[in-house]
Amino acid sequence: MKKLIAALTAVAALALLAAPAAARAGEKFLGKVVKIEMAGPEAKVATATLQDEAGKTVAITVQDKLTLDKFADKRITIGDDIKCKYEVKDGKNVATFFKKPGGC
Amino acid sequence: MRTNLLLAASLLFASSAGAAEHEGKAYIAEHGYDGPRTCETCHEGTARKFLDTVHWKHASKVSNVEGVDPRQEWGMKNRIYTFCNGNDLVNNLKEIPANEKGKTKLIGCNSCHPGNHLSDVGSTGPEAEQAIDCLVCHSSKYDYSKRRPYKTANGQVAMGQDRSAEAAMAVGKPAVKNCMTCHEGAGGGPLVKRGFAFDAEHDAHAAKGMVCVDCHKAKDHRVPTGFDPNTWANDGVRLSCADCHPGKPHKDQAYDAHLGRIACQTCHVPGAGGAVAKDFTRWTKLETGFYEPSTIVRAPSEAMPVYAWFNGTVVNQPHFIGPKGSRTDPRSKIFPFKIYEGKAYYDRKSGQLLAMDFAPPTATGNTLAGVASAARTMGLKDVQPVPGWQTIYFANSHLVTRQKALTCDKCHVPSGGRLDFQALGYSKAEIEKRRLMSASLWFDRLLEKELKKDE
Repeated sequence: MKKLIAALTAVAALALLAAPAAARAGEKFLGKVVKIEMAGPEAKVATATLQDEAGKTVAITVQDKLTLDKFADKRITIGDDIKCKYEVKDGKNVATFFKKPGGC
Repeated sequence: MRTNLLLAASLLFASSAGAAEHEGKAYIAEHGYDGPRTCETCHEGTARKFLDTVHWKHASKVSNVEGVDPRQEWGMKNRIYTFCNGNDLVNNLKEIPANEKGKTKLIGCNSCHPGNHLSDVGSTGPEAEQAIDCLVCHSSKYDYSKRRPYKTANGQVAMGQDRSAEAAMAVGKPAVKNCMTCHEGAGGGPLVKRGFAFDAEHDAHAAKGMVCVDCHKAKDHRVPTGFDPNTWANDGVRLSCADCHPGKPHKDQAYDAHLGRIACQTCHVPGAGGAVAKDFTRWTKLETGFYEPSTIVRAPSEAMPVYAWFNGTVVNQPHFIGPKGSRTDPRSKIFPFKIYEGKAYYDRKSGQLLAMDFAPPTATGNTLAGVASAARTMGLKDVQPVPGWQTIYFANSHLVTRQKALTCDKCHVPSGGRLDFQALGYSKAEIEKRRLMSASLWFDRLLEKELKKDE
């Protein structure tokens, strides 16, 4: 019985160790765009680097067409504040939300 | 004379080059682009006419809203309601005070106005005509990074424009992005106010490759719009689904039988989106050190519309802006609306809603300072702000779907249906007699359809 409890505890501990990847599923970031890497206006993916107040940077992978269009015609450009949510997939921070925080 | 000859030659060349290409492209390539002055070479008188449209004036005379003077012009220029709680007058584009981090920025309701802000909302005359940003709506190669507010050498706040020849040579019918650049950003961020995305995923018209101006087809820059309890200003030209889908558009007669009293949108726009509630008395601090109105937003189609009779006229009260209409009014139909509730300050003495200048609360979160500043702008004295709520009905006319349109079982059910028949004026006895809340009304018909679908 003790062995079973120990085994279950070990499994639980491993699950907790593995948790950060899952917990990062809903990361949020508010920062300025400091760099946009996009291979031409028709590209299917782009990487935007955001920097927050503290100087922390995060590279965000953007795949949705509307945001890519906004990069292409500079509706979103260097210096813009961005509210972003992303999920970590295969080591990349993939945006699920990438928008300017204010409208007017 | 030489200019005209060159222009004629350019047009000849352009017309032989292809119908889709703007006929003045070669002219612009040779002469460069000098704003409306260049456009007027061919489109003479257009700039002057544009100054008399809602896009420029942000207002018009309004004849369908109770309690407003029909001789005055109303619109985002001067209205006070709890979605924006400000307007172009009190929230004129300006530099806000520094926040606790010493940062400032240039913001204002009229940042989407298609001028340069030096010629602003409703301005007239030659200077205003030359300030029009034709390309922001008409160019497919507009560089939006140039359309930013900035301070001029003498400290005025101006709005930048892309007047490059490259942008000017790519003019044409406005694309979706030309419209949505402003129309999706209103009210505090992308898809906050109207809450609809006009793309293939969310709208049947967009999925067919249509663009905004295929329905909102302007003449002399007067853009047709539908009736909406919360959009008052209009160019005097109206638009409805029946303009393109007249008569009996369904294959099923039972659906066509609804058309007398049910608006197309009721079945074909089953979802709503955008902000459902805001609190202007309590602003939320952002990591940037700025504040913004506390807002609860839903994604497109995530919110459920409410249904009410609407005859195109509007109830306008301090705590309610919504549709007028009833079952007994033959002009009324049942429409879907996005319900929005906003909390803001009212004047204790007059009971009227007060506007807010966003500059102070954006910097410090001090909402009462914003009310005081707006009151000064509007010449109001001794206001006594007290919080209160206002309910607003927004027309829900986009996010159109054919595949996900409401079917019989979404409304005519014993409970949980979309329509509250009693609230809409149907008696219990009539509901019973007509089987309005029973599958017995529609089962056979719907079963037949479902079976066909499975074949």
